[in-house]
Parts: sequence; C-alpha cells; structure tokens
Amino acid sequence: MTETGLLVSTRKGLLVGRSSAGRCEWEWSGLEFSGWVIDYTVRDPRSGAIWCAAHHEQWGPRLHRSDDDGATWREAGMPAFADGERSLESIWTIEPGAQEGVLFAGVMPAAVFRSDDGGDSWQEIESLSSHPFSEYWMPGAAGLMFHHLNVDQSDPDRLVIGGSATGIFASYDGGESWESRNAGIRSDHMPPELQHMAPCVHSMFAHPKQRGRIWQQNHFGQYRSDDDGESWIDVGQGLPGGFGFASAIDPGDPDVCYYIPLDSDQSRMPRDGALAVFRTADAGATWERLSSGLPQSGFHQGIFRQALGQDGGDPLGLYMGSSGGQLYASNNGGESWTLIRSNLAPVTAVRTWQLDDTD
Amino acid sequence: MVVEVRVEVHLARGLRVHVEAPDRVVVSGANAREAIDDLIRLHPLLGKFVLDDARRLRRHVNIFINDEQLCDRDQLSDPVSDGDRIHILPAVSGGTSEDNQGLRNDHD
Repeated sequence: MTETGLLVSTRKGLLVGRSSAGRCEWEWSGLEFSGWVIDYTVRDPRSGAIWCAAHHEQWGPRLHRSDDDGATWREAGMPAFADGERSLESIWTIEPGAQEGVLFAGVMPAAVFRSDDGGDSWQEIESLSSHPFSEYWMPGAAGLMFHHLNVDQSDPDRLVIGGSATGIFASYDGGESWESRNAGIRSDHMPPELQHMAPCVHSMFAHPKQRGRIWQQNHFGQYRSDDDGESWIDVGQGLPGGFGFASAIDPGDPDVCYYIPLDSDQSRMPRDGALAVFRTADAGATWERLSSGLPQSGFHQGIFRQALGQDGGDPLGLYMGSSGGQLYASNNGGESWTLIRSNLAPVTAVRTWQLDDTD
Repeated sequence: MVVEVRVEVHLARGLRVHVEAPDRVVVSGANAREAIDDLIRLHPLLGKFVLDDARRLRRHVNIFINDEQLCDRDQLSDPVSDGDRIHILPAVSGGTSEDNQGLRNDHD
C-alpha cells in the first residue's frame, strides 16, 4: 500500500496530511510552528528528513528538521551571510543534491547556499552572488530571492536555478561558475537592451526524465526549453493569459505540464473569479482547461508560486493551496478536484511524499 | 579601578513564548553591545532572536535603555550605566517589511 504525505506550508504554520491508497481520505497533524510563516517544506527522499523553512517577522528565519515524518522537530543549521552586510530574511526552497549529504537552499536576499554535511552547516555560493548580472537583479512584490533550484540527480555538476527577479542561471561544474539562460524570454519590466539580464521567474522545473527540458512560468509568459535554457519556446498560445505563479510537471511524462494562469499582474487572481488549472500533454502545443470541482465564480484569491504540488503517482496527484486558505486535491491528474481543507492561513507551498510499505 | 556595570535585561513575553528564558537577566557591559553579548553568552538561544547575520538588531525588534529607545541599531554602541534596565521588545511593525515600503506581499 502506498502512503501519500502532504506538506502544507501556510503563513501561520505547517500542516502535515497523510492518505493511504486512493488519496481520498486525509489524516491531519495539528498546526506545527503556530504563528510562524512557513516558507517551504519538503521531504528529502534520500534520508527521509523533512525540512521546514520558517520565518517570524520579528524573530527572524529558522530551518527545522524532522526525522520521523513530522512527529518531532529540531532546529537545523542556518545559512548565514558572512559579509557583515546582508542578513538572511527567509529560505524559499531546500533542494536535495545529487550527492550524499548535499543540500541547496535558495534564500532571500537572493543567494544560494550549499551544505555538504546534511544541513548542519551552509556556505554561500559566492560565484553566483557575484555574477556580473547580479547588479540587475531587482525585487518583485515578494522580495528578491532564488526560489526554484533544479539539481540533475544523475549528474551532481548540473544545476539550473531561477528567482525573482534574477532570471535563470545554469552551472555545469557544481556551482563553480554560472551562465545566464534567459535568451528569448519577455521581461517587460526592463528596457529592450536589458531584457536578458534579469527576467522574473515565478516557477521552473527541469524534467527528471528528459535532460534539457525545462518548464517555466514567468511574470510575462509560459515557456519550455529543450536545451537546458539555451533557448526558450513561448507555449502560452491557448492559455488565457501570460501571468501566473505556480506550475507543476508530471515526473512520468516530460510532455505534461500544469499552469494556473491568473488574470494579470494587476489583479493576480483567476479571470472572472473562476479557478482553473491548465494542462498540456503535448509539450505545450495545446492546453486543456481543468475545473471540475473548482469554484467557477466568486473565487477572488491567488495561487502562490510554490502552492501547486504533485506526488509523482499514476494517475498523478495534484494539490493546490490558495491565498485564501483553501486546499484542493486531485487524484486523477487534474480531471477533477476536491476541497480537502479550508479556512487555513494563506498557503505558501504544497509539497508531497510517497512511500510504499516496502520502502 | 574598573567598576563593573551591571544592568538588568527584561525579556518581553512575546519573545519568551518562542524560546525558554527568564523574564529578567542580570548582565554586565558598558554599552548595549556588551550587555547583549553577555546576555547571549548566558542564554545562547536568544542570539538569533535578537541579532541578524551582521549582528545588527533585527529590523522588527526594539531595545529600550530605561525609557530611551536604542539609537545605534547597527553597532549597539549606546552606553549603559550601572543599574539601568534594558528592555527587549517585539516591534509592532512586524507584519510587513520596510524594504518595499510596506508593499511586500510575502509570497506573491
């Protein structure tokens, strides 16, 4: 029997959900870290450790670790800037590396830290922070940060990362050096001659089964790359708008991607109060609007950039949290959705784990 | 002869709900930096609550020396005198960031 776990990060604490086969009924933990903003929570499939990045507006950021699926927690080592100038505000993502004990953290202000000892200590990747393009980085509405880190699990030297508004960078030497990967991406917040310097990435996933394929939701459009970001193809035709935050891939099929287009960066809500997820199964050539079970009027909320999670199952499970504290789940690849929690604080991130009894 | 300056640090309840610490701690130091360093020596877990990576006072934390608000939030060089009280208090501004003039929207 397969158990699915849900890590629901909210602006007022963390909820952990569990479901057995079928992903219909959920059992929930109490609210962990009550009152703290939970920025991101993820389970490292290698060690089974759950990493929970939190911050408190007054008392600063923290990183917590659980080795028993959320039953108990302890504080982990914190990334910290050593230059005496910058101060870490929050951790936006934790990404397991391809080597044992290696973890990456994307943080605000924009930087990436690496740990080689399983999260006990962290070092800033200074070659990224000092990249010549960094002088063009500028904060979006949520700040200036790296929030999506893609590590090639079959090659520890290959990293593709993105942030707001930093654009995309790729490294082929484990983070020693970085190349910009923004050619062809719209950046209407920059003059024409600077379009490639610092596009505003909202979410971005490299596909684990097809090297070079990356799906991106940008501030101004949706894109696919088949060459590690050397070039980008606008796949937004057929979608109701270019703006949006969250996206998800299907780990089993490189041609499948999910976006949640929002009306514009002026409203940041679904058009006409109708919530829908759009899916392509042909690499972005066509899109299908999926809304069964989702509110089709009066939905005046947003979906944050990390608030759409998938569980890698077959059929794919999808989990979507809203800025109004609703949590919707689909156990059939988005064909239909069920409201599984409501009245939460704004949902900042949703991530999952799956375990077989034999694991 | 050097006269040791001893001050009493008062820790707000809003801080003590997050970290185990007494409500008052007697420390020594001739200025706020030395007093806070002594506090953190006695109660190491308090350090990350009060100071940021650059050892500045956290943006949404306030320190008062008696009834005077700390002036030097970066170096904490404000002098203290024997018998002074230092209050460590959460600011009421903690709901948003000053970086974007209140426009920061937390996640998007």
